[in-house]
Amino acid sequence: MKKIKQVIFIFAALLLIGGCDKDFVEVNTDPFAINEIEPGLLFAGAQRTYLGGWEGEHTIVQQFVNPFNDGATLFVNFNENVDNFQNGCWGSYSGSIKNFVHILHLLEGTTDKVNLQSMTRIWKAQAMMIMVDTYSNVPYFNVGLAAIMGEEYFYPSYDNDEAIYEDLYNEITEALDNLNPSGDFVADDLFFGANAYYPSNDAATQVAKWKKLGNSVLLRLGMRYSKLDPTKAKSIVAEAFDGGVMTSNEDNAFVVYDGTKYTNGSNNGLVNNQPKFYYAAEPFVDHLKNTNDPRSKYMIAMFDDPGDPLGTAVPGVDLEDQFGVPVGVVRTALPDSPYRGVKEQGYDYSQMNVNVMASLLAPSFYLTYAQTSLLLAEAAHRGWIPGGETAAQQYYEDAIRADMDVMALYISETGSSYAPISGAEQDAYIAQANVAYNAANALDLINTQYWVVCLRNGAEAWSNFRRSGYPALNRNEWDDQLLEYGGDGFVHRYTYPDAELSNNKSNYQAAVAALEGGRDDLRNRVFWDVELLP
Amino acid sequence: MRKVTILFVLLLFAGVQVAFAQRTVTGTVTRADDGSPLPGVTVLVQGTTIGQLTDAEGRYTIQVPNNQAVLNFSFIGFTPQSVTVGSQSAINIRMDEALLQMDEVVVTALGIKRESKKLGYSVSTIDTEEMLTNKAVNMMESLEGKVSGLNITPPAAGAGASTQIRLRGQVAFAGANNSPLLVINGLPMDQGANSADGYGASRDLGDNMNSLNPDDIESMTVLKGATAAAIYGSRAANGAIIITTKSGAKNQGIGVEYSSSLTLQEVLDYFEFQDVYGLGVNGQKPISAADATSNGQFGWGAKYDGSLVPAFNGDLIPYEFQPNRLKQYFNTGSVFANTLAFSGGNEHGSFRASFARTDTKGIEPTNEYKRNIANLGVTYDITEKVNFSVNVNYTNESYINPPQIGTQGEGSMNFLTRVSQSIPLDIIEKSAINPATGTEWPVAGWTTINNPYYAHQVGQSYIRNRDILLGTATLRYDITDWLYAQGRFNYDYSLSFTESKVPGGIGTSQPMHTDGTWKGAYNVSENMGTNINSDFLIGANRDFGRLSVDASFGGNTFRIKNHNFYVNSSHFTVRDLYSIANGVDKSQGFGFSQSRVNSLYGMAELGWNSTFFLNFTGREDWFSVLNPNSNSKFYSSVSGSVLFSEFLEDLDWLDYGKLRGSWAQVGSANGVNTYEGYLKYGINADQFNGQTLASISGSGAPNPNLQPFTVTEKEIGLELRMFSNRLHIDLAAFDKVTTDQILNVMLSTASGYSTSKKNLGSLKNQGIELMVQFTPVETNNFRWTSSVNHSFLKTEVLSVGVDPDGTPIDDMLVIAFNTTGMEFLGELHYTVGMPMNMLYTRTYLRNDDGDILLRDNGRLLASNDYIPVGSSLPKHTGGWNNTFSYKNLTLGVFFDYKFGGTVLSATLLNATRQGLSMLSLEGRREGEAGLTFPGVYQSTGEPNTSVVTDLQGFYGDYRNLQIGDPFTFKSDFVKLRNISLSYDLTSLMRGSSFLGFIKGLTLTGSVRNVYTLYKDIPNLDPEALQSSGDMRAGYENSALPTTRNYMFSINAKF
Repeated sequence: MKKIKQVIFIFAALLLIGGCDKDFVEVNTDPFAINEIEPGLLFAGAQRTYLGGWEGEHTIVQQFVNPFNDGATLFVNFNENVDNFQNGCWGSYSGSIKNFVHILHLLEGTTDKVNLQSMTRIWKAQAMMIMVDTYSNVPYFNVGLAAIMGEEYFYPSYDNDEAIYEDLYNEITEALDNLNPSGDFVADDLFFGANAYYPSNDAATQVAKWKKLGNSVLLRLGMRYSKLDPTKAKSIVAEAFDGGVMTSNEDNAFVVYDGTKYTNGSNNGLVNNQPKFYYAAEPFVDHLKNTNDPRSKYMIAMFDDPGDPLGTAVPGVDLEDQFGVPVGVVRTALPDSPYRGVKEQGYDYSQMNVNVMASLLAPSFYLTYAQTSLLLAEAAHRGWIPGGETAAQQYYEDAIRADMDVMALYISETGSSYAPISGAEQDAYIAQANVAYNAANALDLINTQYWVVCLRNGAEAWSNFRRSGYPALNRNEWDDQLLEYGGDGFVHRYTYPDAELSNNKSNYQAAVAALEGGRDDLRNRVFWDVELLP
Repeated sequence: MRKVTILFVLLLFAGVQVAFAQRTVTGTVTRADDGSPLPGVTVLVQGTTIGQLTDAEGRYTIQVPNNQAVLNFSFIGFTPQSVTVGSQSAINIRMDEALLQMDEVVVTALGIKRESKKLGYSVSTIDTEEMLTNKAVNMMESLEGKVSGLNITPPAAGAGASTQIRLRGQVAFAGANNSPLLVINGLPMDQGANSADGYGASRDLGDNMNSLNPDDIESMTVLKGATAAAIYGSRAANGAIIITTKSGAKNQGIGVEYSSSLTLQEVLDYFEFQDVYGLGVNGQKPISAADATSNGQFGWGAKYDGSLVPAFNGDLIPYEFQPNRLKQYFNTGSVFANTLAFSGGNEHGSFRASFARTDTKGIEPTNEYKRNIANLGVTYDITEKVNFSVNVNYTNESYINPPQIGTQGEGSMNFLTRVSQSIPLDIIEKSAINPATGTEWPVAGWTTINNPYYAHQVGQSYIRNRDILLGTATLRYDITDWLYAQGRFNYDYSLSFTESKVPGGIGTSQPMHTDGTWKGAYNVSENMGTNINSDFLIGANRDFGRLSVDASFGGNTFRIKNHNFYVNSSHFTVRDLYSIANGVDKSQGFGFSQSRVNSLYGMAELGWNSTFFLNFTGREDWFSVLNPNSNSKFYSSVSGSVLFSEFLEDLDWLDYGKLRGSWAQVGSANGVNTYEGYLKYGINADQFNGQTLASISGSGAPNPNLQPFTVTEKEIGLELRMFSNRLHIDLAAFDKVTTDQILNVMLSTASGYSTSKKNLGSLKNQGIELMVQFTPVETNNFRWTSSVNHSFLKTEVLSVGVDPDGTPIDDMLVIAFNTTGMEFLGELHYTVGMPMNMLYTRTYLRNDDGDILLRDNGRLLASNDYIPVGSSLPKHTGGWNNTFSYKNLTLGVFFDYKFGGTVLSATLLNATRQGLSMLSLEGRREGEAGLTFPGVYQSTGEPNTSVVTDLQGFYGDYRNLQIGDPFTFKSDFVKLRNISLSYDLTSLMRGSSFLGFIKGLTLTGSVRNVYTLYKDIPNLDPEALQSSGDMRAGYENSALPTTRNYMFSINAKF
C-alpha cells in the first residue's frame, strides 16, 4: 500500500525535479544523420566553383554561338536579357559560397586548421570575385548565414562592388599570411590534397602550392584595377608577384573527372542534349585560323552530323576546313547564301570538339599558370613588375607553351587520339608574325592569348575582355538594344535573378537604384569596367 | 492468436469463483406512476457479484448471503433505490422515473468524470448503443451528422478507408494535422489518416480509428472546443475525442456477449452518360482496331446504330451504348463483423475480454480489408483504496489492394468514366493482356487511362499489414474520501509492413527497358512506431459549506519514436518475378525520428451553492523539437457556468437552465518537425577521384525560433431542459482564432538557402451549434424521441504571411491542381478576407454586363485570372435523428445534410471534353448541326451567330483553357442517411424455459445511404471525394462510387 503511494509520488517528483526538458537536446538530435562533419569534406564538396558557360560568357566573348532563337535558347547571341541563363553564377550562393561560409563558421575561434581556413578564405574570395565581376553590387557581407545567424540573414542586403573588392583583397592577403607550412595538411583539397591530380602528402608542399594559387588570385584581382586605378593595380600586382605566383602547370588549380560518377557537366549540352544547337563562333575560329593555332584541333572540329557529333568517327580538324557561325545570325538564315547551309540535323559549321575540350571527361581549370603568366606579361610590359619587355616576352611565351602543354592532359584524360603539341610546333606558332611578342602591340597580343587560354573558363574570359578591351571584337549587330543608354553593344554585366525581386524585394530595389540610371540591365558596368569597348 | 485464447480461458476461470449464496429473496419491481411491472431492472447485492435482472413481469429471485445484505435496484431512466434485506424474504419495489438528469456525469479531459452542470463549455456524449445500429468499419463514419460541431466526411476510397474528422472547422492550413486528438483510455494520439492525396497512384490506408472495435467502446465524449480540451495544451488545437473501452462491471457474474453483423454494399450509380454517339471522332465509327484504340477515349463518333464495328482488340462488336458498366465492374461489397466478449465481475473487480473479426470485401474487385481485434479490460481493487486497471487492445489489420483513386493513370474509376461508353466490359476484361507483348492492351489512345483488369490479371498487388498494440495500466489510490492520486502508463506500438508488386506492362506496349531488363517493380517497406504516454494526477474534491472545491494537479511525459526501412527493386532480370533479388536497380532507405513533450498541469473548479461554477486550467508544455532556449509554452483556460434555473423555481416548465461561458488558449506544435532546428550534412554517394565530398543537406534554412501555433477560443452557451425533461436545448456559439501558423517562406538565395519556416498565418472559425432533443410522444408502449443538431460555420483567412519587406501577402496558392500533372482544373487558395479553402478556376471571359465573350469563330475565351468560385467547406451541417419505440421494437430514422460548400469535378470535365457527358450533346442533338454558344463576340459585342461544328475542339477548350464554370457545383446534399429497425427479444427469451439462459437478444436491420433527397452535382455523389486530407479539399476526381449499405445484426447476451 505504502509502496504504491510512494511510487506515485516518486514518479511525480521525478518529473518535477528531473527537469522538464532534460535530455531534450539529445532527443532532438537524429542519431542516424550526419550531424557533424569534418570541414575539409565540405571544402572538397564546394571547391568546384563557377566557371561560366558556353551559352553565356563564351558567347559574349564570341567563342561560341547558339543560333537558335526559339524560346528557351534565346539569350546573348540575340542581345536578349533572359533570366535563367544569368542565374547560374548566382547559384554559387546556395552552393559553394554557403559551404565556404559554413566552414569558416565551424572553424571560428579554432587554431588547428589554419591552412584549411586560409584555403577556404582564398577560394571563397575567388568565387565572390566572379560574382562581383558578373553582377557588380551583390550581397557579400551577410551571405550564406541564414542557417547560422537566423532570420536577420534571410534577406541579405547588396554591398558595393568596390567595397567588396577591398574586402576580398584583405581576405586573400590575410589568408596568405596565415598559411603555415607546419600547420594542418588538408588531405581533402581537390587541387593539391592527397587525391589531387598532382597530390601533396604534407602541409609544406600543399601550402607552397596554395601560396602560389593565392598570389595568383591576388594578381588577377590586382589586374582588374588596371584602368580604374593603375597605381593601386601596380601595388597589388607587385605584392602578388613578390609573394610568388604559379610557375608551372603543376601549380594549376584544376580537377579531372572519372567520366562515370562525375563528369564535366558544362559540356553536357554539347555532347548529349541537342548538340545541333551549338557551334563555334566565327571570330574565334578565324583567329585560330589566322594564327595557325595548333590548339585548334582540341578545341573545334567539323562533324559529319552536327546533331550527333559523337557519331563521327574521324572529325575534321584541318584548320582550313573550319568555319565559325557568324555572330548574331539566326538559324533560319543559315541555310541560305551567304551562309554555308544545312548539314544533316544541323548546319555546316565547326563545333566545339566533343572528343577533347568539350568532352564530358574534359578537366575543369579554375586558375592556371598560363593565365597567370599572361597577366605577368602585361604587368611587366606596364612596368608594374621588374624585367621590362624582355620579361614580358618571356612570360608571354611561357604562357603559350604552358597552355599548349596542358593539351597533353586533355588528351590523356579524354582518351583522345590526337598527339600532344610538340616543342617544334610551339616554336613555330610563337614565331609567327601575328603571334610573336611585340612591345608596340603587347596588350592586344597578350590579352588575345588570354582569350584563347580561357576557352574553358568563360567567366574569366569575359572579365578580362571587359578589363583589357582585347581581343578587338565587333559588336553583335543582331539589334541595337545594347547601344541604348550609351552602351557599346557588348554585354557588360548580368542582371540579378528575377526571384530576387519577389524574395528580397527591398534590398533588390535598393541595389537596382544604385546602378547607373537605376537600370538592372546588361549594359551597366562593374566598378573596374570603366572604358567602353571599341 | 493462440495466446489470446489461453488468456480468455484463464480469465473465465478467474471469474467463475464468485458468489456463495445462502438465502433467497423474491419480489416485483413496478413503476411508481402506474404500477405496471418493470422488466430488466438490475437487482444487485451490494458489494458482491450477485445480481439479477427482473423478468417480463418485473419479478426477481435472488440469493443473499445474510440479513445485513443491501439490495440495489437500478434501471436507466429511474431513480435507483437501496433496501437492506433484514429478515424480509419478499421485497417489492416501486421505482420513480428520474425525470431530471441534471446530475448527468460526463467524461471530460484526462478521463476525469464531471457533473455536466459544472461545465463551462460544450461537450457531447455519443450514444454508443445507437452507434451500433448503424455500424461501420470505421466507427467515425457512423457519427456523420450526429453531433453538432463535428463534421465527418467519409471519402469514397475503398474498404477500411480513413474519414475526415473536423471539430468546429479546419483549425489550421493544410499540412498541419487538423483532426481532433483521439484519447483512447488516456492515450492521446493523432488520427493518423493515411489519405489518398491525388499525387501518383494514390491509396487510402485508413487511420487509427480502425484499430478500435465499435463493440468495445464504453463511452465516447466529444470535447468540441478549446476550453474543453485545454488541459491537453499543445495537442488540443483541434478539440479532442475521449474514448474509453469496456472493462466489465462489478458484481455482475459471468456474461457472454456475441454480436454479429453482415453488411452488404450496393454500388450507387448516379452517372448519366450520353447514349447517342459512340466511340470515335469526327462523327465517324471506328474503321479498324487501331482506330478504335486511338479514339477509345472519345464519344465523338457516329450515332449508335447497332452495326458491327471493330473494337480495340480486333473483335467486331455492335456499335451500342453500354449502360451498366459501373455496376457490372464493381462487386457487391460486404462486411462481416463478429465480436465475442466475456465479462465478469465480483466485489473486487471486473473484466471484459473480447475478440472481434471483421472481413470486408470492397466493391473494387481484389480490394479487401481484414481486421482482428482482441481487447481486454480489467479493473481490480487491490485494497479498498487502491484500484488497478489495465486495458489492452491488439489489432491486426490487412489492407489488401486499396483502390487507386483520385488521379489519372491507374484506377478503375478513371478508366470506367473515361473510355467510350460503347466498349462492352466483357471484351475489356477478356482482352486486357495483349498476347503479342504480354503488356496491357490499350483500350484508349492515352496512356493515362489504364485497364484495371490488366493489373488484376497480371498480379498487381499492394498489401499493408499492420499490428497495433495499445496498452494502458492505471493505478489509483484514494488517499481519503476527498483526495486521490493516480498514475498511468500508456503504450502504443505499431508495426506495418507494405509489399507492392507493380507489373511492368501497365500503360505501355514495351515490356522491357532499353537496357534489356524487364519493366516492373517490387517494393517492400516497414514502419515501426511507439508512443509512450505516462502521467500522474492528484485530485482533491471537498466541500466547505456552500463552497465546493475540486482541484487536480498532474504531469505527463509523451514520447514518440518512429523508424522505417524500405527497399525498392526494379529493372527485373526475370519477367514478372517479384523479388528484391530479381531487380538490377535497387534503392533502400532508413528514416528515424523521435520527440518528446513533457507537461505539468493543474485545474481548479470552484462551486458556490451548486449554482455558480468557475473553472481554471493551466498547462505548461516542454517540447524537444523547439529551441532549447525557449522550449516551453503555457496554455490556460477559464470557464464558468450559472445554473439560473435555481432562481426560477416558480417556472414549473423549466427543469434546468444553465448559462456558460469560456475562454481558452491551446496550441499545436504540429508543423515543427523533429530535427528541424539544426543543420544536417550529406555525403555524396560517390567519391570524387577517391575524395569524399560533403555539403550541407537541403535548401531549407532551419528556423530555431519556430513556436507552436496558437488557438484562442471564446465560447458561450445556453442549456435548457423543459417540460419534465421532454425538451432539451443546447445552444453554443464560439469564436476561434488560430495565429502563428507555420508557413514556408521563400528566402533570397543569397542567404544560402531558398526556404525556411516562419510563424505567420492566421485564420478564424466562428460558429453556432444548436442541439434540440424532444420527445413528442410518450405513452406506456410507444415513445418517439427526436433530436436535431445544426452547426453553422463561418471561416475567414486573416493572414497568409508577409513579403520579405514586411508587406502583407493577400493570397496564398495552396495547390494548382492542374500543375500536379495528374489532375485537371482549378486551384486551392487561402485568400485574406475570404473563407478557408477557397477554390479558384478560370471562368468564361465575360464583359461588364456579364455576357460571355467569344472569339469571332464562336469558340470560348477564358478569364485571364483564376477567380474564386467558393469554399470547399460547408457552412451548414446537421442531422435529424428519430427514434420510435414500440414495446420491444425500435425504429431509427436519420437524415443529415450539408450546405454551403463547393466542389470542382474533374470527372465531369473529362467526360465533357471527351464527348461522353450529357453536356457534350449540346450542339449535336437531333436536329442540331452545331453549337451556337450563347454569348457575344469579344471583337464587336454583337451576339454570337457562329455555328461551331468542331464540337470536340469546342469542348476540349474547357480543358485547354481551364474554364471551370460547367464543372463547379455546390456540394450541398440532404440524405436520408439511415433507417434501422431493432427488435429486442430479451423478454421473449426470458419467458421461455428452453431459451431462458439467453439474457438479452436484439436483432437489428438497417440501411445506410437510403436515399439522396437533394444534391446539386449531377452524375456524382457530392460526398464521393477522394481524400480525407485538406490538400484536396473540394476537388473531385475518380473517387469510388458511394454505396448503399444493408446491415443485419444480432446481438446476444448470455
